[in-house]
Amino acid sequence: MAAADVSRFCRHPLSANLPLTPGSGSSVQPTRPPFRSRAASGSPHRRHWLPAWLAAAAIAVPLQGCGQGSSNSSALPIGAVISLTGNASVFGQDQRIGLELAERHFAGQTPALQLLLEDGGNDELTATSAFRSLIGRSVLALIGPSLSQQAFAADPIADRAGIPVVAPSNTARGIPEIGPFVSRVSAPVSQVAPLSINAALRRNPAIRRVAVFFAHDDVYSTAESEIFQKVLKQRGLNPVTVQRTNTTDQDFQNQITAALALRPDLIVISALPNDGGNLVRQIRELGFRGQIVAGNGLNSPNIYPICQRHCEGLLIAQAYSPEADTPINRRFVEAYRKARGGSIPPQFAAQAFTAYQVLAEAASRLQASLPNGRTLASLPLKEQRRRLNATLLAGSYDTPLGELSFTPGGDVVQKQFYVAEVRMNSDGRSGRFALLP
Amino acid sequence: MPPPSLLDNILQILLNGIASGAVYGLFALGYTLVFSVLGVINFAHGAVFTLGAYLTYLLIGGAVGSNGLFPGLHLPFALPYWIALLLAAGLTALVGLLVEATAFRPLRRFEAEPLLYLITSLGAGVILVNLMQIVMGAEGYSLPISALGSLPVTVRIGEAQVRTVQLVLLAVAALVLLLLTVWLELTRGGKALRAVAEDATTARLLGIDSAAMIRLSFAISGFLAGLSGGLVGLSLSITGPYFGINYGLKALGVLVLGGLGSVPGAVLGGLIIGIAEAMVPGDWSGYRDAIAYAFLFAVLLLRPRGLLGGPQETKV
Repeated sequence: MAAADVSRFCRHPLSANLPLTPGSGSSVQPTRPPFRSRAASGSPHRRHWLPAWLAAAAIAVPLQGCGQGSSNSSALPIGAVISLTGNASVFGQDQRIGLELAERHFAGQTPALQLLLEDGGNDELTATSAFRSLIGRSVLALIGPSLSQQAFAADPIADRAGIPVVAPSNTARGIPEIGPFVSRVSAPVSQVAPLSINAALRRNPAIRRVAVFFAHDDVYSTAESEIFQKVLKQRGLNPVTVQRTNTTDQDFQNQITAALALRPDLIVISALPNDGGNLVRQIRELGFRGQIVAGNGLNSPNIYPICQRHCEGLLIAQAYSPEADTPINRRFVEAYRKARGGSIPPQFAAQAFTAYQVLAEAASRLQASLPNGRTLASLPLKEQRRRLNATLLAGSYDTPLGELSFTPGGDVVQKQFYVAEVRMNSDGRSGRFALLP
Repeated sequence: MPPPSLLDNILQILLNGIASGAVYGLFALGYTLVFSVLGVINFAHGAVFTLGAYLTYLLIGGAVGSNGLFPGLHLPFALPYWIALLLAAGLTALVGLLVEATAFRPLRRFEAEPLLYLITSLGAGVILVNLMQIVMGAEGYSLPISALGSLPVTVRIGEAQVRTVQLVLLAVAALVLLLLTVWLELTRGGKALRAVAEDATTARLLGIDSAAMIRLSFAISGFLAGLSGGLVGLSLSITGPYFGINYGLKALGVLVLGGLGSVPGAVLGGLIIGIAEAMVPGDWSGYRDAIAYAFLFAVLLLRPRGLLGGPQETKV
């Protein structure tokens, strides 16, 4: 089977609605040779189901590790390691859409870039393996991985090799400090989290009793909850209970009934979309009528189908709002809606788009700055990477997240944050994040 | 308002534990049927459970999410929840048969080592999960809260309360246990299955179609997986294609605690694990799995066969 034929199978279905432009990352390379058909292999006709599972595996394998690459051989490769499988794939799949939209959006820029996607799974080992695999393919820069705990394991590998890494969703403390080649476009939790608490207390100054829930197996949620608790203490509110959950939990009855027995006025949640949405639903079903503040992990339309009408009134501080009225965000929202059946883009897609954007714009600025019409590709790879990192950190960018720049250490400087309240539509299954004034 | 009394707290813990335990028990019933017949664990059971939840969701008119293969796509009809649940369970029974035909039967033909069944069933499960992720995406889904009609959302007993859907789950688990027990003990089919569980070769010599009985156990197991998946989807939502995996691991513990291959043991084990988890104090609730498994470990040290486990001939 020709490689072009195999690419149809290896192409991820999430890109099904994205008409990939030839020369902008449209073809996909297989990670294993195709299976021979029975007729071609000449195997005897036996009643055996194994080929059926193998065929199914051939369809399923792309999720595990297909590398996606451009057919444009002169394009500079940008690697991205995101969680396409495992529990974190709920972000990773959003990030994939954001990256693919960005690749299309910046396809006309020079130098041409080629997006290479690898699955970072849910764990550190898969992420570091994917980083090594992409480094072996001489990437100019890397985007990812999806989770902060993966970044602490994988980023030092790239940093030692002098490859710029842009983190699209790592918000834990210490990410930019991993090394000079590591930066992020995801605002740290310390900047975003306090805003929603302040909004809740402005709305109801009589709040006295606060219950805190956080997913203790997730670095992001733990760090965010620490910030929430610190802000609460600064406002003279000691939590009446702190309930730990796991991101894999589905039944929260024990924690909720224990917390509700203490009669809280406010509940503050740090979790991820699936477990957090489920937690909100069960809290409401068990009768809590007070204000719920949720962390940035729940800043995703993916919560709507989970907590349904019980999402109504949730207060969330946001590093991205689809309602931000800027030209680049309007174009991004429009492209996302067109590609994904009218859905509103979540923060993780916007941040992934932004991670690709800052690299694309930095590469473009760098090439324009080279003397005598030299191209970036004409420089030695090590020099390309070093100069790209310096240009990236020195620039400012107009992105769907708003205007961005970086500190010299690689942390994002984001000018605009938002606090939104979830307003559900009458169908109880869709809604919007309405910005608070 | 005064804090709840000690009695209320104990009642709440019991209600919480029984509600969680019913889910574990219902899930483990499917595991235990296959184990009792073949003596191996079907690791694809968790994936079939997830499939049942997704099928129920689609059959009631749910749409594929933005990460799925065809965002926004939904069936041209929407069935009432209980009909959708039974139809989904029927479809997962067929998937159970497919798993038997692909991951178990070829190995049985070669009299393969039991360990190989674990690997092939695990492989079948992983493939199913990945296919579900391709079709449905990674996002979570909830079945509509209104599926139970006019029933109240929660039931209050004193100061304790439990969600009605969890009581429904408990009732279904009890009903399934009753029906399975009656079928296994009082009907010709049930007795034939028990005979195959005891000794497939002897059963075949006695005129029982052992292969058909094995297929039947997979079909029932698949049906139960789909049924419990659809019910848990209603109670707790479908938190992505991997959500059956966690139940699969927990149900293994339940199976061992209740006694390998014991049908009532599966439900009893589920209830005990559920109550053990519910007794974990709130501040330690994130560690409840560790505490529940430590409890399981301690029980098995005292009674290695599990609570209702016995010699092979008394199983099922």
